[in-house]
Amino acid sequence: MSRPNRPQRRIQGPQSALTDFLASHNISAQQIRLDAEARRRAAEAETETPAAPQDEQVTEAATASTSTGDGVSTERTSRAQTTVVAGAESAKRKKAQAAVAKIKAKKKAQKRKRGEDDSDGSEYDDLAEAIFQRSAPLPGQMENCAVCGKRFTVTAYSRSAPDGGLLCNPCGKELDKEEAAPKKRAKRVPGVISGRRQVQSKILDGTYRPGAKSLMTLCIETLAKNINLADDLGELPVTAVDKIARNLSKNRLIDARTLDLFLQPTVEDLFIYDGSKLGADDYIRIFQTAAKLKRLRVCNGVHFKDEVMDYLLSRHIQLEYFYLHGANLLAEEKWKEFLVQKGQSLTTLKVYWTDKHFTDEVLALLEKHCPSLTRLKVEHNQRVTGEGVKAIANIKSLRHLGLDLREHVHSDVYVHLLGKIGQDLETLSLARVPDADNSILDALHNKCRSLRKLRITDSEVMTDEGFARLFKDWGNRELKFIDFQKCRQLESTQPRENPDGIGLCSNGFRALMAHSGRTLEYLNLYGCRHISPEAFEEVFGADKVYPSLTKLEISFCEQVTDFIVGSIFRSCPQLRELIVFGCMKVKDVKVPHGKLLVGVPNAVGMVIDGDDN
Amino acid sequence: MAVNDDDVCTSKYITLVSNDGFEFVVLREATAISPTIKGMLRNPFSEARTGRCEFPEISAPVLEKVTEYFHYWYKNQDKAVVPDMDIPVELCLEILVAADFLGLDKQQG
Repeated sequence: MSRPNRPQRRIQGPQSALTDFLASHNISAQQIRLDAEARRRAAEAETETPAAPQDEQVTEAATASTSTGDGVSTERTSRAQTTVVAGAESAKRKKAQAAVAKIKAKKKAQKRKRGEDDSDGSEYDDLAEAIFQRSAPLPGQMENCAVCGKRFTVTAYSRSAPDGGLLCNPCGKELDKEEAAPKKRAKRVPGVISGRRQVQSKILDGTYRPGAKSLMTLCIETLAKNINLADDLGELPVTAVDKIARNLSKNRLIDARTLDLFLQPTVEDLFIYDGSKLGADDYIRIFQTAAKLKRLRVCNGVHFKDEVMDYLLSRHIQLEYFYLHGANLLAEEKWKEFLVQKGQSLTTLKVYWTDKHFTDEVLALLEKHCPSLTRLKVEHNQRVTGEGVKAIANIKSLRHLGLDLREHVHSDVYVHLLGKIGQDLETLSLARVPDADNSILDALHNKCRSLRKLRITDSEVMTDEGFARLFKDWGNRELKFIDFQKCRQLESTQPRENPDGIGLCSNGFRALMAHSGRTLEYLNLYGCRHISPEAFEEVFGADKVYPSLTKLEISFCEQVTDFIVGSIFRSCPQLRELIVFGCMKVKDVKVPHGKLLVGVPNAVGMVIDGDDN
Repeated sequence: MAVNDDDVCTSKYITLVSNDGFEFVVLREATAISPTIKGMLRNPFSEARTGRCEFPEISAPVLEKVTEYFHYWYKNQDKAVVPDMDIPVELCLEILVAADFLGLDKQQG
């Protein structure tokens, strides 16, 4: 900033380098000192002048505006308000002028005392005006707020108003809020990088689809974000309500308040996908409100305790579908009571993640008390043993069975089970059965005729011969879903050698595809690493087509090459997702449009879809 | 918009009419995402002749948002990264009901 009438430096003689430097930048130490003095004096002057007249002026203007504002349009009242502000401002300006005049007078007097002439008065004019333009009262002084007009003490943190003047603390906070809001919104806009990251994350979750989200999804996401505004979901279709429930659970938003949105006296299905924030009282409330409840699913239902079950038993609710996940506080006795009293109507029972209380004895009650049970799932269970599985074998109505037990169960028990109820089973899932051997596969071959879905995982004893025997001339209809992941030899000293053909290898794989290839929709061969490249090339040969296959998992099948992946894409027109983690021979493969190849070991990590058609 | 009254309307655009009479002209291809509208535009129905689909249960602000969605969907059909469309919170539930009615719960038509 340069001033036209800068004073000449009065200090003669040697001067410091700093002074010289400052002088070359139009800054004079003398002037800074004078500025400070003037400011101090101005502050003094202000405290001397009484504030009362100004306040009066403001209140006068305000009362004038309110008296005229009776029955006039908002436009006029707003104009009146601006006049109030203008009045306050003009008062301030007058005060400032008076103070400037005072300073000038004082300065002149001082100079006269010092015996200097009065020639550079205009310089003081500039100075004083500059001070008041900045209008910065020092911390500790009193000042009137530029917005609300209240008196307040100026601190170092006092904010200045957008159109001059200072703000009191409450008004300053208000201004902070206004300015912070748009900043946050700007942050939330997804950038290119975060978008890409999101896509990769979705691919790994298996939920990726190119293109825009459906309108329903958009609405549900908006709703989940603003769920605290919703009082009632109204008459929404069941599918939409279920989607909302899923979306809320994903963000852990289901609590005592949001649960009410889903509780209606007429509701028949209640799916709580995350009940971790619900207490025992909330679960009791479900049975109090939803008297017609038929299907109940509770995930993470930690507080689904004895007292909740007691309450359920005291009501007339007849559940058909009961899915309980992680309810470890529910005692064995209560399970038994439940099955005895409410088992009659039960068609589906799924119990996940229990350590102590879901036992063989509970399973033994199913035969007698649940005559219409068709689906049973017992997973991540630490108590059920071979005894329990034998008890399941007596449930004649069973069509779908899924077991994932921690206790050791001998293969003979499963053979016994298949011998008794294998004939009508449509789903059989035996997860984590390291000791399961070929006798189970033979029992499947001999007994099962209606299977659509088969899962046997982690077997370390079953052999290629066994798998080949199972699928060769099997009287069962073609399957839709097969999961044989990690059925392979575990031999750390000689991992490549497999003289006994343990696990699902080439012949078993050929027989599997020959039997079910036409209808197969999902195939999981994760870790079946002894399937030879010849077998893959033969199965996915140029003349073979698998019209239904949509998802294929061949991770850690070491022999898979670029050529085999290309052949798979050619042979499976409906294939949407191919997972090839740990297939190190897959390097640079062309992925057809709209298909997904997950797990390629390169810098990109995943290939989404190629340009090839 | 040219409407051929005798034959099936083959115009590139169709008109959606809300319950209070507001009309929205949309690219025909953009409405392919909605099985409901697709069905209405099939031959035996009058909508197929006129290219006008009336929705007596959808209000203008909601139908406007739906129309916006049709074009948003059409424009972003094959893109990998799609920014979300803004849904006004106050209309959210109404749009949800309309989306259910129009079968807009799938990503592909």
